[in-house]
Amino acid sequence: MTMELDSSTGTELAASMVDVSKSYKHFKLRNIHFSVERGTVAGLIGPNGAGKSTTMRILMGLVQPDSGVVSALGKPISSSEAAAKQDIGYFSDDMRLYKPESLGWHMQFVRSLYPAWDDVYATQLLDRFGLISQQIVKGLSHGQRVKAMLLLILARRPKLLILDEPTNGLDPVAKHEILTELMRVVEDDSRTILYSSHNTQDVEQISDSITFIDRGQVIASSNRDEFLDKWKRIKLHAPEGWKTPEVEGLRLETCHRNLHVLSFSQFSDQVPALLQGPGLVIEAVESMTLEEIFVSSVMRGREGSQS
Amino acid sequence: MNLQAIRILFLKDLFLSRRQLFAYFAAGMAATALACVPNATLTFVGFILVITVAIAAGIHLIGTLMLSETTDQTRLFVMSLPISLLDYSISKISVVLTTYLIPWASMFAGLVIATFVLGKQGNVAVLPAIFFFLLCSFMLQLVTAVITESVGWTICVMVGGNVCLNVFMMKLFGNAEVLEVVKSDVLTWPSYVLQIISVELLVFVVALVTAFLFQTRKRDLV
Repeated sequence: MTMELDSSTGTELAASMVDVSKSYKHFKLRNIHFSVERGTVAGLIGPNGAGKSTTMRILMGLVQPDSGVVSALGKPISSSEAAAKQDIGYFSDDMRLYKPESLGWHMQFVRSLYPAWDDVYATQLLDRFGLISQQIVKGLSHGQRVKAMLLLILARRPKLLILDEPTNGLDPVAKHEILTELMRVVEDDSRTILYSSHNTQDVEQISDSITFIDRGQVIASSNRDEFLDKWKRIKLHAPEGWKTPEVEGLRLETCHRNLHVLSFSQFSDQVPALLQGPGLVIEAVESMTLEEIFVSSVMRGREGSQS
Repeated sequence: MNLQAIRILFLKDLFLSRRQLFAYFAAGMAATALACVPNATLTFVGFILVITVAIAAGIHLIGTLMLSETTDQTRLFVMSLPISLLDYSISKISVVLTTYLIPWASMFAGLVIATFVLGKQGNVAVLPAIFFFLLCSFMLQLVTAVITESVGWTICVMVGGNVCLNVFMMKLFGNAEVLEVVKSDVLTWPSYVLQIISVELLVFVVALVTAFLFQTRKRDLV
């Protein structure tokens, strides 16, 4: 298999989208540009209706983009091409199995299409997920259904996993079981996961790199540690009438009396010096959670598009 | 085109429709048997039941095998597997057509055999025209389901087909040449019937090609 290389870093890419656009009547995906390095977990975070599912469906060849180039595992992706899907496992929260049939029947069906299906691993997953192959799909709970679908995907040992909101609506135990299994998957350096969610905690837990998407556009993309290191919250006491300086990356989040809470997206040791002045007292410089960074990024993106 | 994938998808759908298939086959055979009873009322009731089974089987199988994949959200699961749109389209249209043709052909063959056995060979002349009409009506529902993916529109076409069937039967049995053949004990093929069958076969082929063309040209699969 010939992998695509990142032109700037020379690293192997498991998937990439270049200037991908797709228009619907009431929604547009605009110039989506991002890539996923091989052997990593990439998180795609966005609010509901941001375009995460459409992006993932395009990457899987289920939806044809109006423009742009899409490739996965070194192969171009389109609905007419099935070869690339042999090594891709796709999960969507909207996906359903055949209700009247058993999980065992589904396992037989999927196995007939995948030469790499691993029976031993499938049995292990049945055990770890607490599933019974004779169970009829109609009787499965939401958590069991998600686990059953992940079993059907993981047991074929795909090189690339595209998971669209896999932990949506799961109880904490089921979520833990699934995230643990996904961590086991990426212990194998050749396997890659692209994982979408609007729950930042799940993504933060397992992702190496993170892309924020809102209103059909990528608004920020970086590796997780870089996000957490560079984004800081600054609590500042300032005299009445003080205005936030126009410094790139600085945004006023809230203001209560003379306490100003600022967020900074490119924090460095030099930043506090920028906030010196008569009556200005920096009370705290704090780390931000991924959720706070995400919300601030979305609000900045929306303000930018309005101005 | 991946023949192995098409075969697997075809068998999967055949298995999923096994209950309906058996039910319509059994109902079709029962209706055919009733139509063969040498009693005018029972024969008439049996024949009406044969037509009813053919219509019900068509709309039910299209609903179960084609339209429900959208409403039940199972198509996303199927299309995530290593199959192309062409593989999916060939297997889906083939299996819907096959499952319909099983009860359709059984009833058609049953009635033809029974008509010969009962010595009313003249009746055989109208059976192909009526059965091919039912097949065409089914094909138009299939094309509608493929294009619109809508239960409502497909039912509308089915209703339209039923209305047209009544008009068709009136016209068919209103033809003097046809009426004469039906009453006779000798099988002959009126030119009027042959013309109807030719048009029906043309409609069948055009509908089949249209269904494939629309299905394989879809850009978004889910």
